[in-house]
Amino acid sequence: MSGSSGFVWDWAFTIKMLPLLIKGAGMTVLIAACAISLGTCIGLVIALIKVVRNPILNYLGGLYTWVFRGIPLLVQLFIIYYALPGATGINLDPFPAAVLGIGMCGGAYIGEIIRAGIQSIDKGQMEAALSLGMSYSQAMRRIIIPQTYRRLIPPMGNEFITLLKDTSLVSVITMVELLRTAQIYASSHFKPFEMYITAGLIYLLLTTFFTVTFGKLENKLAQSE
Amino acid sequence: MIKVIDVCKSFGNLQVLKNVNLTVAPGEVVVIIGPSGSGKSTLLRCMNYLEKIDSGKIYIDGQLIGKKEVNGKLVEAPAKEVYKMRENIGMVFQRFNLFPHMTVLNNLMEAPVLVRRMDKGAARKLALDLLKKVGLEEKANAYPAHLSGGQQQRVAIARALAMEPKIMLFDEPTSALDPELVGEVLSVMKELAREGMTMVVVTHEMGFAREVADRVVFMDEGRILEEGTPQQIFTNPQHPRTREFLAKIL
Ligand SMILES: Nc1ncnc2c1ncn2[C@@H]1O[C@H](COP(=O)(O)OP(=O)(O)OP(=O)(O)O)[C@@H](O)[C@H]1O
Ligand SMILES: [Mg+2]
Repeated sequence: MSGSSGFVWDWAFTIKMLPLLIKGAGMTVLIAACAISLGTCIGLVIALIKVVRNPILNYLGGLYTWVFRGIPLLVQLFIIYYALPGATGINLDPFPAAVLGIGMCGGAYIGEIIRAGIQSIDKGQMEAALSLGMSYSQAMRRIIIPQTYRRLIPPMGNEFITLLKDTSLVSVITMVELLRTAQIYASSHFKPFEMYITAGLIYLLLTTFFTVTFGKLENKLAQSE
Repeated sequence: MIKVIDVCKSFGNLQVLKNVNLTVAPGEVVVIIGPSGSGKSTLLRCMNYLEKIDSGKIYIDGQLIGKKEVNGKLVEAPAKEVYKMRENIGMVFQRFNLFPHMTVLNNLMEAPVLVRRMDKGAARKLALDLLKKVGLEEKANAYPAHLSGGQQQRVAIARALAMEPKIMLFDEPTSALDPELVGEVLSVMKELAREGMTMVVVTHEMGFAREVADRVVFMDEGRILEEGTPQQIFTNPQHPRTREFLAKIL
């Protein structure tokens, strides 16, 4: 029964390729880190313009979420990398295009997470802060936002994991990261099994890092309450 | 100290305040009573402009609240001025609204340091003095979640006092408390009244009203129907609605 296709895992090849895959993973982590930072900044801005009492800003925030959450990331990447240069003359290298694409899309989701977090805080908190003479922004900064941290950790952890996995899409705009590296050597050496399984395991390792870190963070904040 | 003149306020089609007039003298304690939905909370919230008013004027310590007179016309005051005005008006809520992520001490120190730029040492001293006054010195480093309702409300009163306001507004401060915890909060309020604080109190505690109030105001359906000394209101109410209300509650 066993080995009906005669398949044997090629350990020597796997080990030889490991440094290249790890280099690709380095690029994956770099893209993810930049995109997560950008996405978090955008998300904060989007969340804030959605909760301030200004209908125009609220509308713009809603518009942003609608567009960037509604168009598939893959299509957004194509637009940024392939369509924008022809239409506007803006020619982005693959790396900034990748970070921008994932970051802007992630910003839409993170914005929603933060907004929901802010709006889940009891309205009495804002009223108490205002009644003590605080300004709206002081109340946000010192009273409301700090109370959202613990509630934000689980959904933010999920979102960071999603963004990390989404980096595998940027191979379509010629970015050589973990998946693309695996793809190149899988086809040139006819070793798809070794390459893709190893790449998959490296992704799993990276996402596990987030799971563990966020779990610890949640515990730590839970203790301080 | 407080002058409410012809104030109207609606939520959508529902008119909640209908030409309300009320004057509170410095050091006076005014208790507002009335059935649920009569607009008591709304009136209180208008006094520190947590709610905007549709028409009328409110003066606190001679200063127009939330509005500004420009060339004889009333316009909304800039947010900054509204924030500044609120520093003089403390408010205590039914559900305490302590900041759960801060210790009791930091709940008291936050606004003086942030808003009045008080130095931390002075703010701490002020906070500890106030905690002593409400009998909760030993809870300075506790978090609100670890206090009983009565203790939380006493901290909330101390927190409002930390801004050294000229006026204190209380919106049913004991309604969310177990009966055995009501007394400790009321006694803090009585002490405050004795010290001459100007207070407006919405409450169903008629004993408190009788003992402490200089004046009792009866509200119904957005109007002040009757006001007078506790003696007048409780023993000789003039308006049939007041009689009806008191008959139900006493
Ligand atoms: N933010 C709001 N939006 C719409 N309607 C409101 C709002 N706040 C209060 N109301 C309505 O206004 C009316 C007066 O409310 P208010 O809270 O001032 O009454 P109250 O006298 O304090 O009653 P209670 O004794 O129940 O606290 C009620 O009918 C209430 O439903
Ligand atoms: Mg009320």
